[in-house]
Amino acid sequence: MNCTWKIGGEAGFGIMTTGVLMAKIASRLGYSVFDYVEYPSLIRGGHNAYELTISDEKANSLKEKIDILICLNEETWKVNYAHLQSNAVVVFDSEQFTPQETKAYQMINLPMGKILTELKGQVVMKNTIALGASCALLGVNHQDIDKLITEQFEKKGKDVVEYNQLFAKKGFDYVMDNYNGLIQSVLTENKNQKQLLMTGNEAFSFGAVVGDCRFYAAYPMTPSSSVLTVLADWQQKTQMVVRHSEDEIAVVSSALGASFAGVRSAVGTSGGGFALMVESISFSGISEIPIVVFVSQRPGPATGMPTWTEQGDLLFAVNAGHGEFPKIVLAPGDIEEMIALTAKAFNLADIYQLPVIVLSDMYLSESHTTIKQSVLDNIKNQYKINRGKTIDRVDGDKYLRYQITDDGISPRLIPGLKEHYFQSNSYEHLQDGHTTEDGDERIAQVKKRAAKINTYFKNDFSAPSVYGNLENAKTVLVGWGSVKGILLETQKQIPDCAVIHFNHIYPLDKEKVIKLFNQDKRYILVENNSTGQFGKLLQMEIGVEIKEKILRYDGRPLTVREIVEKL
Amino acid sequence: MNVSTIQDFTGYAPTWCPGCGDWGIGIAIKSALVQLGLSPSEVGVVFGIGCSGNMNDFLNAYAIHGLHGRAIPTAIGYKLANHKMPVIVVAGDGDCYGEGGNHFLHACRGNHDITVIVHDNRVYGLTTGQVAPTAMKGAVSKSTPYGLIETPLDPLALALTQGASFIAQSFAGDAPHMISTIKSAINHKGFSLVNILQPCVTFNKINGYQYYRERVYTLTDNKKDDKNQAMKIIQDIGKEKYPIGIIYQNQKAAYHEQLQQLLNNPLVKHERYLDFELLEKDFI
Repeated sequence: MNCTWKIGGEAGFGIMTTGVLMAKIASRLGYSVFDYVEYPSLIRGGHNAYELTISDEKANSLKEKIDILICLNEETWKVNYAHLQSNAVVVFDSEQFTPQETKAYQMINLPMGKILTELKGQVVMKNTIALGASCALLGVNHQDIDKLITEQFEKKGKDVVEYNQLFAKKGFDYVMDNYNGLIQSVLTENKNQKQLLMTGNEAFSFGAVVGDCRFYAAYPMTPSSSVLTVLADWQQKTQMVVRHSEDEIAVVSSALGASFAGVRSAVGTSGGGFALMVESISFSGISEIPIVVFVSQRPGPATGMPTWTEQGDLLFAVNAGHGEFPKIVLAPGDIEEMIALTAKAFNLADIYQLPVIVLSDMYLSESHTTIKQSVLDNIKNQYKINRGKTIDRVDGDKYLRYQITDDGISPRLIPGLKEHYFQSNSYEHLQDGHTTEDGDERIAQVKKRAAKINTYFKNDFSAPSVYGNLENAKTVLVGWGSVKGILLETQKQIPDCAVIHFNHIYPLDKEKVIKLFNQDKRYILVENNSTGQFGKLLQMEIGVEIKEKILRYDGRPLTVREIVEKL
Repeated sequence: MNVSTIQDFTGYAPTWCPGCGDWGIGIAIKSALVQLGLSPSEVGVVFGIGCSGNMNDFLNAYAIHGLHGRAIPTAIGYKLANHKMPVIVVAGDGDCYGEGGNHFLHACRGNHDITVIVHDNRVYGLTTGQVAPTAMKGAVSKSTPYGLIETPLDPLALALTQGASFIAQSFAGDAPHMISTIKSAINHKGFSLVNILQPCVTFNKINGYQYYRERVYTLTDNKKDDKNQAMKIIQDIGKEKYPIGIIYQNQKAAYHEQLQQLLNNPLVKHERYLDFELLEKDFI
């Protein structure tokens, strides 16, 4: 079973809330889901759409064709009818408009306007009517809807719960009474499999808590903002200090101050805000103060297209910061990887005492997917806090913050220990932290910092994941970060196809990576940007050139069909 | 009880110009810390970049020598992670009022419990003598050879209007006054500003020791919690009369005192949060 449901209407009328309720219903029944929202950078007006793929198997990306389309306005019809499955069900309200040329589809004229008038409902309740109708079409038990509505709205009071239940029931009953023959009964089975429904941003937030992050600062910027709001909402439970500061420079500076004092700290932003933080990334590099930086990309340059997606900031992240210093860049491919790698990022920051960047993008940050409770439990149970050489006592008399060591890592004392003190310095420094301009001391510190990279390769770098049989494959799709799910779906449609997916993006261990690329295969680089940035990185770091590229940069995620067509 | 000494706080030998006001400020800060009974391991200091910030090598503490303009937000994070530690910012006028001006405003309105000691010499010393935000209109410098067009920034009025709860001024030529003012500032719960009028003997030939000695006056009986009176006092500066002392002080909750999570232990001493199941409920 694989079903795609889409709802569209005017922005500002609760489309997304309704969509997520639908996703939760499917998730609770044990189905795998994947969703994607389209919305303009506006609060009211413009067109919103929410698309949801529900599947028996793991849903990695959106399905190409729509099975059920809910049109809350005419624009939804106009934009989407070309993408309908041949026997698709279309829900509309003839009070608003009536679709033309509809012979191929099953039409449901749902009198949402009339129900609103009869019950004196607010316009936003059209969504709830549509939700009820959709549940009926998919064969969902009515009690399941009532239960979800109760739990979602109980904070707002009993009246709100009952009000929503009433309208959902109206939509539900209308389909049952008038369109019984169209009921598809695809969501009848309860798979008894406990699941959670999360966005990439929620997964980062959860991973940060698992990773014992205690200080998070941000300045709101789409598509990263929901990390700030989720963590702020949780703060009285988690006891995390969550700050919305005056600007991104204050954000990153305060996080570095907190990290110096000994707490795991993170910041979150998108490309423009990250640009403002870059001097501090360099400061983290030389002062060796750990920090985790979450960057959720959107199409730039400058303000770009705030609510759309792109993988356009990869090389910017890799090269962020003046001067030469090591940093680590991770790019999770889905929410499971997001949780695990975010928690890992806090370990890496502490172990290597440097900035760790976790790259996401709007597509991963804002799309909901399901994760099995058992998978989540596994991530939590396997995670161990590792603070590396962080110390709270000193052996011997003199503590040297920037002590020269073979692995490049110096013991990092948590400030406050009696009889000791030290400074972390943004100037080049002696081993004790004091400023220096001496050439030999400079070389020693540059080498010490650079030595961390080999230690990282030895202990913590993960080679890319290979999906499928690389040895026998003729075609190899290569990607990084959020394209993972799309590549895995594409792989199913291409004979003799393997996928190489990177989530440890930088630095790249040549020894572990090159053997995947020096074989006689058709390698194809797939990226959500216009210049093939990861291809350039591979060339620079590994010396491998991938000549064939499939790139998309219109602000939309790649689709399986376009990749298959271009192959 | 171990009593610390000036020597305990003394790091490397200062590299300031002979006669620079920073020498006096450096000694005053150390004296204030000693008199408060603190040791270098009990004090957090965040230094800006500039001649003032170079005190990083001369003053022992758990210190950060950060980026130009960013000492204040860095100190705010430091304080929130360990609110039992007094956290002091040592920076210049260019750092706090120019490059980091936005942070200064917001630190005042947050009433973060940090003490900001500004070396206000009205000039950029470390970059060899360009005008600072507090330079007087018409000031001739390397970057303003035909005279500065802007009027000087008024840090005390800014602090007062943006919600700082302790605002003081002192003079680098008056060590006892600086010591007592810095002590009061560190003891104050909430955002405290000590703007220190500091002669730069190398690059500011106008606002030297003699200039200030003729124009400073000590506040003695001002009503410290009276905002209107404070504003009147501050307006004297425009007439080249420089009040020194505590201009304004009131008691209100500091930022960290209003965070439920920081009511008891400092953040750095918290136990790891482990009730993940409670958070998972949001996703079911």
